[in-house]
Amino acid sequence: MRHLVPICLCLALAACGGDFSNDDLEFLNAFPRREDLTASMPGKTQGEAWGARVASKSAQQAGRLGDSSGIVGDTDKTGLRFNEAVDGILSSLEAIQQYTPTKREPNRRVWGPIPGRNDMRFDTRFVMTREGERFDYQLQYRDIGEGEDAWWSFMSGSFQANGGVRKGEGSLIMDLKRAREERFLDIPFLDREEIHYQTRKLPTRVELVFVSNVPTLLPSRYIYREAEGDLAEMTFQILDTDFVQGGLREDVALTTRWAPDGRGTGILEIIKGDILGAKYTECWDAQGRVTFISRSWDFLNPTEGLRSSCPDMSALDR
Amino acid sequence: MSPPLLPSWRALAALLVLGASAAHADSLRRFALVAGNDEGGDETRPLRFAQDDARKMHGLLARLGGVAPGDAMLLLNESSKDFLAALTQLETRAKEARARGERTALLVYYSGHAKDGTLRLGNTRLGFEDLKQRLSNAPADIRIAILDSCRSGALTRTKGARRAPAFEIESGAARDARGLVILTSSSADEDSQESDALRGSYFSHHLASGLLGDADRSGDGRVTLFEAYSHAYARTVADTAASSGGAQHPTFSYDLAGNGDLVLTDLRAGGDGLVVPGLAPAGMYYFVDPGGMVVAELDKTPDVERRVALAPGTYRVKRRLSDRLRIGEVEVSRGRQVVLEESRLRDAPFSDDPVKGAAPEGGAWWTVGVSGGVQSFFDAPTRQSLFLSVGMLGAEAQLHDYFRRDWVWGVDVAVGGKQALLALPTLSGPPYKYSVTSLGTTLTSEWPRGTVAPFVGARMAYLVMRRDFEEATYPDQKYAMFSPGLVAGLRWQPLRRLHVTGRARLHYLLYTVDEQRSLGFWELGALVTYQP
Repeated sequence: MRHLVPICLCLALAACGGDFSNDDLEFLNAFPRREDLTASMPGKTQGEAWGARVASKSAQQAGRLGDSSGIVGDTDKTGLRFNEAVDGILSSLEAIQQYTPTKREPNRRVWGPIPGRNDMRFDTRFVMTREGERFDYQLQYRDIGEGEDAWWSFMSGSFQANGGVRKGEGSLIMDLKRAREERFLDIPFLDREEIHYQTRKLPTRVELVFVSNVPTLLPSRYIYREAEGDLAEMTFQILDTDFVQGGLREDVALTTRWAPDGRGTGILEIIKGDILGAKYTECWDAQGRVTFISRSWDFLNPTEGLRSSCPDMSALDR
Repeated sequence: MSPPLLPSWRALAALLVLGASAAHADSLRRFALVAGNDEGGDETRPLRFAQDDARKMHGLLARLGGVAPGDAMLLLNESSKDFLAALTQLETRAKEARARGERTALLVYYSGHAKDGTLRLGNTRLGFEDLKQRLSNAPADIRIAILDSCRSGALTRTKGARRAPAFEIESGAARDARGLVILTSSSADEDSQESDALRGSYFSHHLASGLLGDADRSGDGRVTLFEAYSHAYARTVADTAASSGGAQHPTFSYDLAGNGDLVLTDLRAGGDGLVVPGLAPAGMYYFVDPGGMVVAELDKTPDVERRVALAPGTYRVKRRLSDRLRIGEVEVSRGRQVVLEESRLRDAPFSDDPVKGAAPEGGAWWTVGVSGGVQSFFDAPTRQSLFLSVGMLGAEAQLHDYFRRDWVWGVDVAVGGKQALLALPTLSGPPYKYSVTSLGTTLTSEWPRGTVAPFVGARMAYLVMRRDFEEATYPDQKYAMFSPGLVAGLRWQPLRRLHVTGRARLHYLLYTVDEQRSLGFWELGALVTYQP
C-alpha cells in the first residue's frame, strides 16, 4: 500500500503529454508534396494504347504529317526519368514525416539521432529550423558515436511557406560529392542533385539539376511546369542525336507542351550540330498524330498542315 | 438517570397565569446574540447543523420574538473573542436602553461544541463559568441563555442557579421578573445529538418548532419561555430515547427576582401563518419546506384550534396515520393567515413521505444527471488555433453530505467537439475535427438557503484534446493533462427529487508540447440531476 501513491503518481504523469502542436504542423508543411514535384506526362494521361504507340517513336528526325509524334515519346521517357529522380530524393523525406519530432525547441525540430546499427556505419538525424516563413532542413549523418561537430549534411533543403498548404518556393540539394568523400554513397560523376521548385502560383515550376564533374556526360537541367487547365510543359535536352542529315550529330533543346486531352506542341532547337540555331515546331492531335510542322531552315516548304490545329498553350507563357 | 428538571405542571400552571399578563413582556426591549459553530477544535468532530440551528433561531427571533433587526446579531463559526465582542456591543445598547427607562431582555443562543466546562468556538474556548458570570452582570433586566451543546447541563449545575421544579412562583405577584435564566440542551454528562432527518439538533428543532406554535398549549397565540422549554424537553427526550446516543435531557434553571414568565414569540406578530381549525383531525402534523426539511410540527388535539407561525412560502403538510399518510400543500402568503383545510389533503403511501428520509451512514445522498456547457480558453490565439472553444455534453454523479454536511463530491465526464479549419501563420485551410474529453472530480461546499444552495469548491480534471485531420498528409494529434480548477455556482431544487445547477469553472492547464505555457480556461454549464 505504501507504494500505491507513487505508483499512481507515475501512472498519472505517464498519461500526460502528447503531440498536439501547431508548430509541428507548420514544420510538416515545409516538406514538398510528391504530387507537386512529379511530372504528369502526356502518355500517362492518354491511356495505355496511345502511350505505347508514342513511346516507340523518338525525335531522331523531323516528323511527317499524320504520323505519330516522336517528341511525345521522348517527353514521356524523359518525364519518367525525371520522376524517378524526384522520387529518390523525396522518399527519405517522406519517411521522416511518419514520426513525431524527438526534440522540440523554439523554431527548431530534431528527429533522431538514430544510432547506426548492424551494417550501418552512420548515425542519422534530421534537423529543421524556422525563421519567419522560411524553413531550412538537413538530413545529416555522422560516424557512429562521433560528437556534435561531426554531423555533415547529405541533403539540404529550404522552403519559403508563402503559398498556403505546402505551397511556396523551395529547394532540395543532395550533396553526392560529400557522400562520396564520407564513403556514404559511391555515385561516380555526379557531385550534386538539385530540385528547385515554385508551387506558390501558376504556372508552377520544378527544376531538376544534375551537377556532374563531367559536364558533357548528361543533360544537366530538366524543367517541368504546370498552368491552369492542367496544361503542362517539359523542357530538357537530348544530346548526340542525328536530327538532320549532315556530317555532325546534334544536341537539341526540346520544349514540349501538352493539354489534358492529349493535344500538344513541341519546339526543338538545335544547340549543337549541323544547323546550329535551327528550330523545329510540331503540333499533334488528341491521338498523337502530327497535324502541323514548321522548319526554320526550310525556305521552300517551311510549314506543313494548319497552324490553327495547334492547341492554345498561352497559359504557360505567363 | 432522572432528568435535571422535570416540568412541574403545578409550576407551569402558575407561570401560565403570570405569562398571561403579556403586557409586561411585550414592553421589553429585546436583544439577541445568536451563535452557531460547527467546529469545536481538537478532539471534536465537526457538527453538521450548528450553523443552521443558529440561522433558524436568529430568523425566528427577528420575525416573531420581538427583536428588532438592529438588536439581533448572528455569529457563524466565529471565535470566542468575536462572541464576547458582540456581547459587549449588545450590553452597551441594553445599558443605554435601561438608562432611558426601558425594560430590557438579553437572549444568548449558542449551538455548537462544549467540552470540559467550556464552549468550543472553533479553536477558541469560553468557560461556562465565565459566560455565566458575564451574563449575571449583564445590564439587562432579564438574561436568557440557551445553550445547545454537549454537556451544557453543567452550566445549570453551577453555583448560583436553581433548577426547576424548585422554580417558585409567587402567585399573583405583580413584580416584573429580573435575573438569569439558563436553558441547556442536555445534562452535564450527556451529548447533544443532531438528526439528519430533522437537519438540526433535536433540542433546537423542537425548541424552534415550539416557538412557532406547537408549544402554545394555552392557545393564546403566545409562546412563553417555560412553554417552549417544556415542549422542547418532552420532545427531545422522546425523540432521543431510542437513539444510539441515549436519551438526552434538556435542563432549565433560573436565578430570578420577582416573577412572571417571559413571552418569547408572538404567533400573530408577522400577521401571517397557518391556522389548523378545531374541527381538523387530531394527530401529529408536519410542515415541510420545499427542500424536504421539517420546519415545524404540531401535536393537534381534538376540537382545539391551533396556530403555526410559518413564514411566507409553500409547504407540504403531512399527517401520519397508522396505515398511510395524509399529505397536501399549503401556500402561506405574506400578512395572511391561511386555514388548513382537511379536504385539501390526500391519502398517500408512506413511500411518498415528503420528508427527506435520512440516508444511512450519516445522511449521505446522491444524485445522477446530465450536463451541458461551453469551454473556452482565455488566450485568444490559443482558442482560435490550438484548443478551440467548444460545447460540451456530459454526465455526472454527486455524493452529498458524505464527508461532511453540505459537502458534495462529484465525478463527471464530458465530451465536446467541432469541425474546424486550420489557421496558422504559414498553414491555413486543412479541415480537421477537434475534440475534448474531460474526466473530473469535484469537491464543493454548499450553503443551502431554502431551495437554493450556492456553492464553491475545487476540481481536478483530466483533459484529452484531439485533432483528427481529414487528409492523411497531416498526423492526428493528441494532448492529455491534469488540470486543477475552481468551481462556483448555484443549485436549485424545484422539485423534491430534481436539482438544477448553474455553475462556472476556472481551470489551469499546463501546455508542454511546443513550449511550456500556462493556460487558463473557463467553463459555463448547467446540470440537471435526479435524486434516486
